[in-house]
Amino acid sequence: MTDASLHAALAWLRKQPDVRYAEVRLVDEGGERLRVRDGRPEQVTAEASRGVGIRVLGAKTWGFACSADTSEGALLATASRALAIARASAAVARKPVVFPEQAASLGIYETPLAVDPFTISLETKLAALDAPVHALRSGDARLKSAEAWMDWTRQKKRLLTTEGTDVTQTFTFGACGMNVFASSADGTSQRRSYPTWQGGDGFQAGWERVTALDLPGHVDRVKDEVLALLTAPLCPAGTRTLLLESSQVALQIHESCGHPTELDRALGTEISLAGGSFMQPGMLGKLQYGSPLVTIVADATSAGGNGTFGWDDEGVPAGKRALIERGLFVDYLSSRETAAALGRASTGTMRADAWNRTPIIRMVNVSLEAGAAGTLEDLVAATDDGLLVATDKSWSIDDIRLNFQFSCEIAWEIKRGKRTRLLRDPFYTGITPRFWGSCDAICDERDWRLWGITSCGKGDPMQVMHVGHGASAARFRDVTVGSAS
Amino acid sequence: MKAEGLLALSREILRAAGEAEAELYLRVAERGCARFAIGELGQHMQLAEPQAVVRVARGSRVAETVTSRLDRDALVDAVRATGRAAMLVPEVEAFPGFTRADEPAGASPDRYVAATARATPEERVERLAPVLDAIRDAGLVSAGMLETTSVSQAMATTGGCARSHDATVANFRVWALATPGAGGPAGYGGQVHGDVGALRLAEETERAIRVCRMSREPASLEAGSYDVVMEPEAVTELLEWLAAIAFAAPEVEQGTSPMAGRLGERVTGEGVDLVEDPLCDDPALGFGAPFDREGTWKQRVPLVENGVARAILYDRTYAARMAATSTGSAQLPSLGSAGGVGPTSLMLGAGTAGGVDDLLAGVQRGLYVCRLHYVNGLLDPRRAVMTGLTRDGCFLVENGKIGRAVGNMRFTDSLLEGLARCDGMTRERKAVPTWWSDSGAFVSPAVRIRGWRFNGKSQEAVG
Repeated sequence: MTDASLHAALAWLRKQPDVRYAEVRLVDEGGERLRVRDGRPEQVTAEASRGVGIRVLGAKTWGFACSADTSEGALLATASRALAIARASAAVARKPVVFPEQAASLGIYETPLAVDPFTISLETKLAALDAPVHALRSGDARLKSAEAWMDWTRQKKRLLTTEGTDVTQTFTFGACGMNVFASSADGTSQRRSYPTWQGGDGFQAGWERVTALDLPGHVDRVKDEVLALLTAPLCPAGTRTLLLESSQVALQIHESCGHPTELDRALGTEISLAGGSFMQPGMLGKLQYGSPLVTIVADATSAGGNGTFGWDDEGVPAGKRALIERGLFVDYLSSRETAAALGRASTGTMRADAWNRTPIIRMVNVSLEAGAAGTLEDLVAATDDGLLVATDKSWSIDDIRLNFQFSCEIAWEIKRGKRTRLLRDPFYTGITPRFWGSCDAICDERDWRLWGITSCGKGDPMQVMHVGHGASAARFRDVTVGSAS
Repeated sequence: MKAEGLLALSREILRAAGEAEAELYLRVAERGCARFAIGELGQHMQLAEPQAVVRVARGSRVAETVTSRLDRDALVDAVRATGRAAMLVPEVEAFPGFTRADEPAGASPDRYVAATARATPEERVERLAPVLDAIRDAGLVSAGMLETTSVSQAMATTGGCARSHDATVANFRVWALATPGAGGPAGYGGQVHGDVGALRLAEETERAIRVCRMSREPASLEAGSYDVVMEPEAVTELLEWLAAIAFAAPEVEQGTSPMAGRLGERVTGEGVDLVEDPLCDDPALGFGAPFDREGTWKQRVPLVENGVARAILYDRTYAARMAATSTGSAQLPSLGSAGGVGPTSLMLGAGTAGGVDDLLAGVQRGLYVCRLHYVNGLLDPRRAVMTGLTRDGCFLVENGKIGRAVGNMRFTDSLLEGLARCDGMTRERKAVPTWWSDSGAFVSPAVRIRGWRFNGKSQEAVG
């Protein structure tokens, strides 16, 4: 029934003389959000969302409309509304949108799963959260509060375009983690999380990933660290050699490379809310973004990545390409329209977070390629004097992605190749190309891990997207650090 | 469908589903969003946002379903499936049941303007055309959005609680920029109102152009403490984060809130009042439904009075657990968030200054800050330490007068400690929409804070 409705809407659009391109996108998704806090179920929510978004390029510009009603009549009306919007907007368009043709894509993509999470019972999932929460709070009165969470989303997406594209994709996204808060009598409050901060713990995989995370196996370490932080000294201010563990490198990539290489931001179409980018088109092939050790790729084909797919929402096949090649800025995350403005081909990154949102450029898996500095412990051993920081706590960066400041849950001081004292409330700050230019060591494949951010916000109205970042720990010289407290 | 229709539907669903203890919240938003950038109307969208939130309790075992499907069969199925899920869930400590028919309710504020609800794509284009022209004529680049939204909401419980409300919001945001996306001089204007006809597009556009022109050739200022005068748009960015970390019962219970254990104590400066006022009857300041997702009638809650922490916000479950009364602060899940507890209409009390110029007159050497960007309040929530940057206008103030533009600066400071150093606020206040909600706004005067701490500056270009 819905299939016929989608085709009917597309057929009607094909007949309109001023429609240059149109896409009809059905999104049908369901999921669950589970959260256990201090021994009680804080959230047990099932989610479902279904509808169709229609984007139309008229004689001059775009129109978008959507409908939760997927009947033929409703979708014909939605197509008509999208075209009417494009026609209305044409009154103020100075020049027609340039939108290059794209060969039709056909096919199916599906997240590979070992164990389908939707076959696991609700009781099993809640028990998997309850046990570590109970353990995290036991044994010390200063362990004030603990929580664990698990989210699952299954999204089925069908894309039809007037160019003949017809692709069906089924994604299974998950996220899982835990944290604990400890407080001391003087009012000091500290948090420690595993595997990383909430929102950075996503993946595209099945229940097997939860098993591999092994929350219970990390309880003792997390408890020991949060209690030690209560009496740890504040991170002293200064200029230091800084080691970022893998998940913090992932966030650093996200904010200071992923977002500024979005071509819509660079061209100026995301000013409301997000801002622009210091990485302007004239800098392609010229800007030394980082040291020669730094190669960052956009890879929508990484196995298990939160930003992995078969085709983007304009029908462009997923691919892999360098954004930063041995420190040099060489490409953008782009769409068909924005890439055409530079005389380039789309890098296939247009995605909408729901049926009722229009596609915009989103990160895929934007990852730092592994280096040759061994494991994290090898890198610590090779550092005479520095700080190792882990697990993001706060994040902020300016509107063109130059000046950033991140604080982390924990820091260890490194002296003569060994971790020494623990430090609390560390932050570091810098200017993007100066910071990446100071990178002098990156750990190898043994430390490389593909992280998934589940809460990347962009667009207006805001869209929240799944994106991925592969990274291993890395070292940076002469970084400004201090205490956030 | 308007709210009365949604209410009738929700009652019918609850009857048909046959669950003994259930709650159904229905919300339908229709949003017309005309988004422009680089002088072109590149994203013009008609967005439908239907949402149903079902909760079913079996004793004190509670499960929830959120769905976009509002047809009768889908909703009945959702209620029944939620009931089955509830049987598998552990008990919720102190669950008080869903709202009953005898829960108090007040007069529903009239927040629906037909002209906003009926605004067509052509009308939005017509209103925006002079905006695009004015910025182009000024030799600058435009960006922004005009949004006209109607939101109908209704909720019912098997205990007989029934609520419904229709509202509209018209929201205009405009930037005038020296470059399309490379940064540099920029000015912002914006206004939110229930009535699209009350928006002053030309005035806000002129403001954006004026600030952008003033921002040319910015000086580079060293980090340090500066007296600042902040516009309401800057202050509300900070209030959003304070709202996220400070006033909700879960964060207070967890011990991470700066209010935890401090009710009755001074937490900021004398003369600082913070009120959650969702029933505000000023059409330029009040937005959204007068009841929360649980059907509790919202209240005016003085959170901070004369700098002293007075109250926090509760939903029904946290109120029962913490021996308090719900303040009508249960929030709907949205944007992938779990909902939870928090303010929707946080208002910083007005002062006595006649305007921004009066505040500036008391600054020997400092900064005038129009907006902030990417504020984050998670550095040290117990002290409400926040970091962020200036954006869209930052100027040196010398001898009480606005002088040269200053490149964007990074601050890191405690908002509560900063407000303790506040010695001036304007009488006039402004509503600024919160970025995570289409039906809420925070309200603030312009403020003057002594010794606000800046710890960095941003380059305007790489080189």
